[in-house]
Amino acid sequence: MPTTTLKGNPIMSRVRFGAAALAAAGLAACGGVKPQAPGQRTMATGDVQQAALASYVKPGDHDQFYLFYSGGHSGQVFVAGVPSMRHITTIPVFAPYPGTGYGFDEESRRMMGDFTWGDVHHPALSKTDGDYDGRWLFVNDNANNRIARIDLRDMKTHQILGPIPNTSGNHGSSMVTNNSEYALVATRFSVPLEGRYAPVDDYATKYKGAVTGIRIDPKDGTMSVGWQVMTPPFDWDLGATGKGPSDGWAFWTSYNSERAIGKLEANASQRDRDYIAVVNWKAAEAATKAGRTTTVSGVPMIDPAKVPGVMYLLPCGKSPHGVDVDPSGEYVICSGKLQPTSTVYSFQKIQDAIAKQAFTGDEDGIPVLKYEDAMIMEVPVGLGPLHTQFDGKGYAYTSLYVESAIAKWKLPPYAPGTDPKSLVLDKIPVQFNVGHLVVAEGDTRHPQGQWLVAMNKMSKGRHLSTGPSIPESSQLIDINGNKMQMVYEAYTEPEPHFAQLVRASLIKPIEFYPKAESKDPNAVWTPAEAKVTRNAATRTVEAKVLAIRSYFTPSRLQVMEGDTVIIHVTNAEQARDEIHGFGIAAFDRNVVIDPGETKTLRFVARKSGVYPYYCTNFCSALHQEMQGYFEVVPQGQQMALYKGNQGAMAIPGEDGRAPGAAPAAAHAGHGGPQQVAAH
Amino acid sequence: MLLDRIRAARLPILLGSAALVVAAVRLPLWGMTLVSTQFPEGLRMVVYPNRIIGDINELNTLNHYIGMMPISDGFFTELRILPAAFLAIAALLAVAAVVRRAWSTALPLAAMGALAGYGGWSMVHRLYQFGHDLDPRAAIHIEPFSPPMLGFNQIAQFATWSYFSWGTFLPLVAGLLAAAVLVADLRAGRGTTAPAGATRGGTSPAAGLSVKPSSLAA
Repeated sequence: MPTTTLKGNPIMSRVRFGAAALAAAGLAACGGVKPQAPGQRTMATGDVQQAALASYVKPGDHDQFYLFYSGGHSGQVFVAGVPSMRHITTIPVFAPYPGTGYGFDEESRRMMGDFTWGDVHHPALSKTDGDYDGRWLFVNDNANNRIARIDLRDMKTHQILGPIPNTSGNHGSSMVTNNSEYALVATRFSVPLEGRYAPVDDYATKYKGAVTGIRIDPKDGTMSVGWQVMTPPFDWDLGATGKGPSDGWAFWTSYNSERAIGKLEANASQRDRDYIAVVNWKAAEAATKAGRTTTVSGVPMIDPAKVPGVMYLLPCGKSPHGVDVDPSGEYVICSGKLQPTSTVYSFQKIQDAIAKQAFTGDEDGIPVLKYEDAMIMEVPVGLGPLHTQFDGKGYAYTSLYVESAIAKWKLPPYAPGTDPKSLVLDKIPVQFNVGHLVVAEGDTRHPQGQWLVAMNKMSKGRHLSTGPSIPESSQLIDINGNKMQMVYEAYTEPEPHFAQLVRASLIKPIEFYPKAESKDPNAVWTPAEAKVTRNAATRTVEAKVLAIRSYFTPSRLQVMEGDTVIIHVTNAEQARDEIHGFGIAAFDRNVVIDPGETKTLRFVARKSGVYPYYCTNFCSALHQEMQGYFEVVPQGQQMALYKGNQGAMAIPGEDGRAPGAAPAAAHAGHGGPQQVAAH
Repeated sequence: MLLDRIRAARLPILLGSAALVVAAVRLPLWGMTLVSTQFPEGLRMVVYPNRIIGDINELNTLNHYIGMMPISDGFFTELRILPAAFLAIAALLAVAAVVRRAWSTALPLAAMGALAGYGGWSMVHRLYQFGHDLDPRAAIHIEPFSPPMLGFNQIAQFATWSYFSWGTFLPLVAGLLAAAVLVADLRAGRGTTAPAGATRGGTSPAAGLSVKPSSLAA
């Protein structure tokens, strides 16, 4: 295994584990001996039984934790339960999702703008005093430079902000500050500011990076761009917010401090160190309030060279990916993914170095701290360390991409002369190539420990084959004991990056939208309120449609060919799971309306004809009968249901019978609805 | 003797009874819970003297399939009559507490009897009405029925539990207490409830129903 890995990553050979490759090659040379993959654990029957019981959640029971994991380039957020690892639902964010009608109604279409996809990497729950408060989930869009807010009250996307100016590839996001003051963002790709053009040849001089504070309204979570800090043209990767003593600070890793272009795989791997940006976001906020900014693309932009105290650069292992702050807020962990160590920095030492102005130089006027001044330990965690999470009991867990393993190691304080090797306490292989990992509430001030989910980038056919296109794997690891125990494995659609694992008791979603809270002026709750009006001058038909088991009122909608059609559908149910859909055959339109919700469709009826509409979300025994006709009258003909082709449409009675039809016969004994009640 | 004790405690007993009836205005009279596989937590309907609460929306939605009329507060005149009737009876009990005459005790008892009769008839009538007056054009045609007033039953896929509750029990207790007072009043004879030793002899039991202003002073 090491041999293949090294082949796949030639740059890795430059670091310290060339010896491993040699050893593996040596074994292979002996002939016929298959090298054993390191650290493999076989599970005894008793362990298997124990693991099976640990993850089993019997029918009807609830999981202990919600797992909100990013859907990557699917543009969505997946919700699973832990420990069962069962996928419970998908929350659509950046891509249409016919299953919930997302991206078809006016509100979600407006939120998505002209984009049809996004790339969700890092979900972040809102916090109070550094712990999850169960209100909102923020997710980034790495592709189209946006950030979205999911309200956990109804688990739906309520706002998409962006594209964020001067940002290209919103990767270093969403990092929520201690009291949800900000969701922090960093551009992955540096680009010329204000969306201008400059050839890539001018990268080192005309391209800039930026980190951004997205202000969060403390009452309703509404996001707005607060400020930006201009940076040299590095690639910003991932961030973390401070807590406790480091509250008010944020940290981002960078790669390509070489400011190289072209084949970055090598060109951005020339320096031995890249940087962590150490940003005092409270100072950035104060500088913005004091007007020490210039407006760039409408955003207050801070030049950290001109506003000292906002940003410092701290060297770290080359090409780092993750930077993480331990629960106490005192230790900052950063792993250079091309070095086999994780570096532990002391926030106090960073502050001391800043106070002493012990800088070794600057990058575009941003002071550079000395690695040795801030660092307290290099922990030899293993190969390809990426991200670190914490269990709240003094241990850290680091994902090792190249090694396909999770390392458990001890956090400071360390006794003088501690052997770094002794800090690594356990290692468990994962299948395969783990990216992010998440421990229950592992990025808060009070992690819950118990469970760790490794989100692996490769599943390599551990599951039933699905052909060349295959899912990712997520593995559940029990971290209660000294040794980590592999418990369960689940497969997810592409492609989870990071996740949030939170106690179920902190999330309290509603069961339906209470009628009393409905603010939609177009909501209708009884058949009598349903209304269709046509304005012949603007050629617009506006319909307020009622959906309730098992009918729509009206059951006919008449419009003229070429009319703009606006349909507001209200699901008047007030019961859990009584969801209705409104799909129009051959019109590429479908909304799904939750109980108590009103959604609006808008389109132009371009082609005359008759198009049935029907309930798309199974609702009741007479769901199939829940249908109507959308009549698009050809130009020049009369619309029978209007007076003179405009005004209010006459809504046919509910016992309408087609002229000439046989009288309705009572079908006693006809297979009736499953849900019949009597008072 | 018990009746003497009751007579001695006539005032608190009747005022207490009045209080029970007043309290009943805010308590459920009767209820029905329907449980099925897809409603394991049950659908509830609870009838108070002045309103009907519970999963009425859902019950109405389900009931419309068999053509049952929707249950709504506005439909039931009972819900306007009952609170007033309860308060009137409570007032009569309070009056009886101070008037101290058998007729004054008999009056609220008679009213309670009448109300119990009206309530019983109303329940039977309404259960019959809702189970029989079904829209012939409903999706599902079922045999007309009367939902059960008490106990366990099965209606289609629902197991039902019908029960009376504190809004019924408290007035019942009040009625029993008032009846005990009436018996004591009558036993003490002469329609007065003067403490032992302050008897006013010579009147027949029937005279208890006649007005005797002097008893007010006793």
